[in-house]
Amino acid sequence: MKYLKSWLEDYVKIPCSNEELFEVITELGSEVEASTAFPEIDPKISVAEIIEIKKHPNADRLQLVKLKTAEGEIEVVCGASNIKVGQKVPFAPAGTMIEGEELKEAEIRGVKSAGMILSERELGLSQDHSGIKILPQEEKLGRPVAEVLAADVTFEVEVTPNRGDLLSHYGLAREIAAALNVPLKKPEVHLKESQPKASEKIAVEIATENCPLYLAKVIKGVKIGPSPQWLKERLTALGVSSINNVVDATNYVLFDVGHPLHAFDAKKLAGSKIVVKDLDEEVETTTLDGKARALIAGTTAICDKEKPVAIAGVMGLKNSEVDEGTSEVVLEAAVFNSKSIRCTAKSLELPTEASARFERGVDAGAVQAAVDKAAKLIQEIAGGEVLTGTVKAGKEPLERKVEIEYERILKLTGLKLSHSEIDQILTRLGFKVKNGEAIVPLWRHDIYVWQDLAEEVVRLVGLEKIKSESLLHLVQKPAQTDFYRRERIKDYLVRWGLTEAVNYPFLSEEDIKAAKICAKDLLEVSNPIQEENRYLRNSLIPGLLKTVAKNPSFDDIEIFEIGHVFSKKGEAVHLAIATSGKSSRQVEIIVRELTDKLNFPGKEFKITEIPRDELKRFKIKKPSACVAEIKLDEILDGLKLGDLALDVSGQKVAYRPVSKFPPVKRDLAFIVDKKITLGQIKEEILKISEKAVLVEPFDEFASDKFGEDKKNVAFHIWLESRERTLQDPEAEAEVEKIIKALLDKFGAKLR
Amino acid sequence: MKAGHLHPQTQYLRLLVKIFEEMGFEVVEAPEVDTEWYNFDALNVPSDHPSRDVQDTFWLKDGRVMRTHTSNSQVRAFENHEPPVRLVCPGVCYRNEATDERHEATLTQFEGFYVDKNVTVGHLFYVLSHAIKKMYGANIKYRMRVHNYPFVEPGFDIDVMGKSGWMEILGSGMIHPIVIKNMGLDPEVYSGFAFGMGPDRMVMQKYGIKDIRLLRSGDLRFLRQF
Repeated sequence: MKYLKSWLEDYVKIPCSNEELFEVITELGSEVEASTAFPEIDPKISVAEIIEIKKHPNADRLQLVKLKTAEGEIEVVCGASNIKVGQKVPFAPAGTMIEGEELKEAEIRGVKSAGMILSERELGLSQDHSGIKILPQEEKLGRPVAEVLAADVTFEVEVTPNRGDLLSHYGLAREIAAALNVPLKKPEVHLKESQPKASEKIAVEIATENCPLYLAKVIKGVKIGPSPQWLKERLTALGVSSINNVVDATNYVLFDVGHPLHAFDAKKLAGSKIVVKDLDEEVETTTLDGKARALIAGTTAICDKEKPVAIAGVMGLKNSEVDEGTSEVVLEAAVFNSKSIRCTAKSLELPTEASARFERGVDAGAVQAAVDKAAKLIQEIAGGEVLTGTVKAGKEPLERKVEIEYERILKLTGLKLSHSEIDQILTRLGFKVKNGEAIVPLWRHDIYVWQDLAEEVVRLVGLEKIKSESLLHLVQKPAQTDFYRRERIKDYLVRWGLTEAVNYPFLSEEDIKAAKICAKDLLEVSNPIQEENRYLRNSLIPGLLKTVAKNPSFDDIEIFEIGHVFSKKGEAVHLAIATSGKSSRQVEIIVRELTDKLNFPGKEFKITEIPRDELKRFKIKKPSACVAEIKLDEILDGLKLGDLALDVSGQKVAYRPVSKFPPVKRDLAFIVDKKITLGQIKEEILKISEKAVLVEPFDEFASDKFGEDKKNVAFHIWLESRERTLQDPEAEAEVEKIIKALLDKFGAKLR
Repeated sequence: MKAGHLHPQTQYLRLLVKIFEEMGFEVVEAPEVDTEWYNFDALNVPSDHPSRDVQDTFWLKDGRVMRTHTSNSQVRAFENHEPPVRLVCPGVCYRNEATDERHEATLTQFEGFYVDKNVTVGHLFYVLSHAIKKMYGANIKYRMRVHNYPFVEPGFDIDVMGKSGWMEILGSGMIHPIVIKNMGLDPEVYSGFAFGMGPDRMVMQKYGIKDIRLLRSGDLRFLRQF
C-alpha cells in the first residue's frame, strides 16, 4: 500500500528523517519498496504565490501569471488551465535545471517570461503534465520546493499477508508509535446527530454466518458534488481517483483507519430493511465498476426487500449507487468472514481494496469509530444531517488469549529480558497482559501461539540483540547422496568436451509438433500465463535440439543436460546428450566412454540420428544431429564413479554480456613464441576487442618448421555488436585490430 | 585442448552444498511436481488464506502443482529421516509469471533446515552468518530483519550490502510449530530453523549477468564462457 507521510502524522509525530523512518518500517517486517526514490530537485526552485492571472495579448491559450516570490513580484507566461489566484506553485527562475536542460529567460509571443511555473513532470515527480503542481496553501514563500516535497513524501510498503492491520495510515502509525515508543494520537470523532433516530428509518438483519457484525447509519439531506481540494490531494497521492464527496469520504476512511465502508443511495433501497444473507439462487447483476456479473447461489450479499444491493465485502452494485441525484445515504460498516470474502473475490475475479482488507481481517473493535468518522466527514463535505444512533446487528467477537511462555520465548530467541520487559513490549503493541496471558488486540489476526509472541518481541527489541550460538560439531560426515553421483557424471562429460545446458522443463504446442510428441502423454499446466509453459517435458531431447537450433554460429555442438522429466507415470531424472555439426557422430563415442569407463548400461541408451524433416521442424540449419537419452535415476547405483567429493575448482571468469544480435565467427591462427600461453592470448584478444564475446583456442602445436621455440596456435573468435547485426566489413576491421594487437604485444604472426 | 563447460548455476550450487556439507548438512531432493499438501498446506499456507497469493502457481490439470519453492522437501524429508537432521535441498521451482530481464518462471532455489531439540534463533544466525561469509567473503556487510513467512515463526530476511545498497538474499526463520507437527514431530519437544535462497540472483551478481533469462537460454556464447 502507498502511504503519505503527512497523513501518518495525523496520528504520530515522526521524530526522524525519511530514510530512518523507512528503515524502521523495514526492520519491523514490512519492506519499504521504492522508497520513493526522490528526484533531485534544483534548490533554485522555490514556492511562489499567484497574485494575478491575465490573458496573453498575442496567444489565446497562454496566460500571463504574476507571482509573488521571496525576491519580489515577477511575471511568467504559462499555458496550464488549473491555476487560480492565491495558489502556491513551484517557481523556477532562469538558470534552473529542468528535465536536464538549463532554463533560459525567454520571450514567448512577444512577452518576456522571467522563468516558469512547473508541472509534476517538469519537477521530475511523475509523467503528469496536465497542469501545474499546486503546493500546500500554508507553505512559506521562497522555501525550496525540494524541501516542501521531501516533508511530505509518498512511499510504498509491501505489507505481508498476515498484517492486514497495517493497511491504513492509522494502522502503520500505530506500528511506528510502538516501535519508536512515542505517543499515538487515537482518532476521535465528535459527531453531531439529529432527530429522528436512524432506527426509525431503517432496520438491519443478519441471516448468515459470514457476517458477525453489521452497522448502518443514515445521513439525510446530503448534496453530492466534488470533494474539497485537501481530500482529493490525499487520495490522488495514493493513486486513488476522486469520484464524488460521499464516495471519496468512504474511500478516505478506508485508507485512513483501514475499515472498508459502503454508501448506498437510501432512496434506491426497496423497503426499509437491510438483510445480509447468502443468496438462494444465482442473480445476474451489475457491479459498481459497470460490469455485468453472475452472483452464484451461496454468495453473501447485502439485500433490500427485493434484490441484492452489494456483494458483501467486495463491491457495491450499480442498482443502489450514490450519484448526483442522491440526497439520503445509508452508510454500511460491517465485519465479514475472511474466508468467505476471499472465496467470493476469487471466484468473481474481483479483488478490491475492501476484499483485501476483509480477507486479511479487520479490526472488529473499531467498526463504530470508522462509521462515525465517515458520517462526520460526509456531513462536513456534503452537508446533511446524521440521524441519531447506529442501527446494529450482530456483535463484536471475543478477544483471544495466548499464554506468554516467557522462558520458552527467551530460550528460543536467546534474548536477555525480564518478564516485565516482555510485558511492556507486548503492551506497547496493543496487547493487554494479565496473569501471564496476552490478550490479543482485535486488529491482529496472526497471533495464536507463543512463537508468534516471540516474533513480536524480536521485532521490537531488534535482531542485533540476538547472540549467535554455535552448532554442535557432527562426528559423522553427511552421506553422499544421488546429487553427488550426478555431479560426478557432469564432471566426466565436461572433461570429454561437452557443455552443460540447463533448459526450461516446459514444452509449447509448437515444440510438441516439432518433436512429434503426443499431447495426451504429457502433463499439462491448466493456467499458464505464457503459452510456452503449456506442457511439461517427458524427454530432455526437444530442449537440446532447440539449443542446437539457437546456435547456428557454432559449427560444432556437443551438449548435455541432466534434469527432471515428467509423465503421467511419474517424475524421473534423465541424462541426454546432443551432438551436431562437424562432430555430430560424437555421441556414439561419448556413450561408449560412459559404458566402458563408468559402467553405464550402454544398451539402455537410445541413440538416434535426427531425421532431416525433424531437423527442419526444429529449424536446425546444420546437416545432421544425433542424440542419446537414458533414465539416469534408475541406474545410478550401478555406476563406477570413483571419488564423489564435489569438484568446486571452477576457474575465474571475466563474463562478457552476449548481444541480442547474432555473432559472426572468425578463425585465426598465429605463429608465436612457445612461452606465450593460450590464456594470455585469449585475454589480450578480449582486452583489445569489445566486440569479441567468446574466444576459444582450438589448436596448439609446436614444430621446427615454424622456427626455433615457436608454435602454432589457433582460435575461434565470435564477434558481435550490441546495437545491430554485425556486418562483414565491421568484422574484418575488428579482425585487423586483433591481428595488429597480437603482433605488437606477442610478435604473433598470422598464418 | 577441448574441455567443456559446467553451467554457472551448477558451479554455484556446488559451492553452496560444500559450505553446508562442512557444517554437517546432507543433500535431500524432492519432486518438482508435487501435491498441494506438500507445497502449501503442510507448510501452513492454507488455500483460504491470502498468503497463498504471494506465489503465482502453475496448477496442473491433474490438480497437482509445480512446486513454488524447494520447501516441499521439508515435510517429505521426515518420511525417511529422524531428528536430529541437517539437510539442504538444491533444486528448481516455478512461478507462473511473465518473464523479463529480472523475472523468471523457472527458478533455482537452495533450501536448508535443521531440526533437533532446543534449536534456537542463535543457531540460525550462526549457520547463516558462517555461510554468508563463505559465499561473499569475511568482510561482507549483512543484516537480518524480521519478515513474516507463514511456514516460520519468527521469520527473518537477510540482506547483504551490494553496490547499490541492501540486497535481499535469503528468507529464513524458526520452523512453525504447525509445520513441525506435519513433519510427524512433537512441537513441544522439537524445534528447528529453515532457510531458502535464490542462487540465480547470486550467480547473476557474481558474474555481472544482467538478464536472468540467459541462464536457461541455451545460448552457447553464454554457456561456453564458464
